[in-house]
Amino acid sequence: MTEVADALASARAAADRLVKAKRLNACLTPAKELRKSLLAQAAAAHPSGVLYGMPVAVKDNICTLEYVTSCGSRILEGYRSPYEATAVNKLKAAGALIAGKTNCDEFGMGSSTEHSAFGRTLHPFDKTRVPGGSSGGSAALVAAGAVPAALGSETGGSVRQPASLCGVVGIKPTYGRVSRYGLVAFGSSLDQIGVLGRSVHDAARVLSVISGRDPKDATCEDRDSLRLPNVPESLQGFVIGIPKEYFPPDLDPAVRRACDRAIRLLRELGAAVRDVALPHTQYAVPTYYIIAPAEASSNLARYDGVRYGPRFDGSEDVRALYRTTRGEGFGAEVRRRVLVGTYVLSSGYYDAYYRKAQQMRALIAQDFRNVFDRGVDLLFTPTTPTPAFKAGEKIDDPVAMYLSDIFTVTANLAGLPAISVPIGRVKGLPIGGQLVGQAFLDDEMLEAAYALERAVPAGEEA
Amino acid sequence: MSVTHDDVRKIARLAEFEVGEEALPLLAEHMSRILEYVAQINAVPASEGVKPFVPGPDAVRFRPDEVKPPPLAFGPAEFAPAFRDGFFLVPKLGQFEQEQG
Repeated sequence: MTEVADALASARAAADRLVKAKRLNACLTPAKELRKSLLAQAAAAHPSGVLYGMPVAVKDNICTLEYVTSCGSRILEGYRSPYEATAVNKLKAAGALIAGKTNCDEFGMGSSTEHSAFGRTLHPFDKTRVPGGSSGGSAALVAAGAVPAALGSETGGSVRQPASLCGVVGIKPTYGRVSRYGLVAFGSSLDQIGVLGRSVHDAARVLSVISGRDPKDATCEDRDSLRLPNVPESLQGFVIGIPKEYFPPDLDPAVRRACDRAIRLLRELGAAVRDVALPHTQYAVPTYYIIAPAEASSNLARYDGVRYGPRFDGSEDVRALYRTTRGEGFGAEVRRRVLVGTYVLSSGYYDAYYRKAQQMRALIAQDFRNVFDRGVDLLFTPTTPTPAFKAGEKIDDPVAMYLSDIFTVTANLAGLPAISVPIGRVKGLPIGGQLVGQAFLDDEMLEAAYALERAVPAGEEA
Repeated sequence: MSVTHDDVRKIARLAEFEVGEEALPLLAEHMSRILEYVAQINAVPASEGVKPFVPGPDAVRFRPDEVKPPPLAFGPAEFAPAFRDGFFLVPKLGQFEQEQG
């Protein structure tokens, strides 16, 4: 068989698998369009690319030329971007096939993929539960075996949290490691494109391709692409910190058991394990839920019915047009966050909320620096406080929903790399363990993740 | 922190949202809960010496947060035929074409 025939076979198989996974409502691209595009991409893909023929699904808030980019929102329904994200461009240059757009919480705002204008995504192992979010569609497709890897995006844990709940690997790179060009902005100082994969290797291969400098994004560091580390024989020489704030007394006992087992395995692999403290951790979620909505209120000001997407018309003047379009086009969670963001930035409240949150963010980042300066290489924590929760369980309680990000937001606030690796099952549902690395030492973090993944019985009850 | 219906109306106006009267009670309740929850950061003593943390390249830093006039020699109202509430007033396209024709 020729290389082109290989790629075409891969495209057909991916299209079949994605159609089979349709019941999950994880892929937003219509089946016919998806098949046609995959075959066209396979015919055009360059055989020398390192990801030649690999189908990679892409979250709906990352711009593609092939498909609609709606961000899971009515306000961008049917929107086709005139350009594509640098990450997508790099994937195509490496021979990957862009395997449709994945469902997500609207503009990445949510932790369950229930806040999508196109319906909720089902958990691949239990349809009554959520796959996590906001990159829930990407996680569900990888977990269902429809694609080996998918792009997601993170603002406060939107790759790692669904990865943990669906039993796949999720990587959030260091801020500035991957270009944000073409990632629809939510919280610009926090947003990063991340990768979900069946294994550390699949996710890391994709991350390596999409990483590296990009003159189109001023917040992207001027660095070469990430070099993939070798799978280590042991973790001799690694010092892994266990922050006590991530193991509160009310942590789900089964999650704690899974983490204890993973920590024991890290020790057996040769790592030195040390208790550490990150004293400002308890303020991370409140800090995040001031900074992210504040940035969102500014970033989402551009959706006014004039420049992008549909217009909800019948208005007398331009201001009424803006208000009607935004009032009808945004869903409840986005509306809530934009209002909170506008509030905390408004006159009289700015100092008490936004300025204070900026200071807290600095203290949280300093906590991590203090630990790393004392010889700790990596931190290990649970990724989520519980396994996948029931659909509808937290939808009416925004603060309860926000707390599902409690162990992930800190890495975004401090701009650090972090990865979630499956570490076991709790009543049949997957649960992830998190490694947090030092800025731009993503490769070191991946090395430890490779070792942990090989050692941990991820399919076994904790 | 209790957010009133009037607060929601005011913030919605600033955010350019149409919010129906029937949506106000739930929005006010949710916003109150969220703001009450995030306000716990004020339990940490203020430390003016702490510089804001911004990830990414050193070249990308916050500008001072200050209101500046637009960088124009004259304000837009000075040279626009008609200007109101921050908008240029122009004829509707159809109307303009009719007048030209």
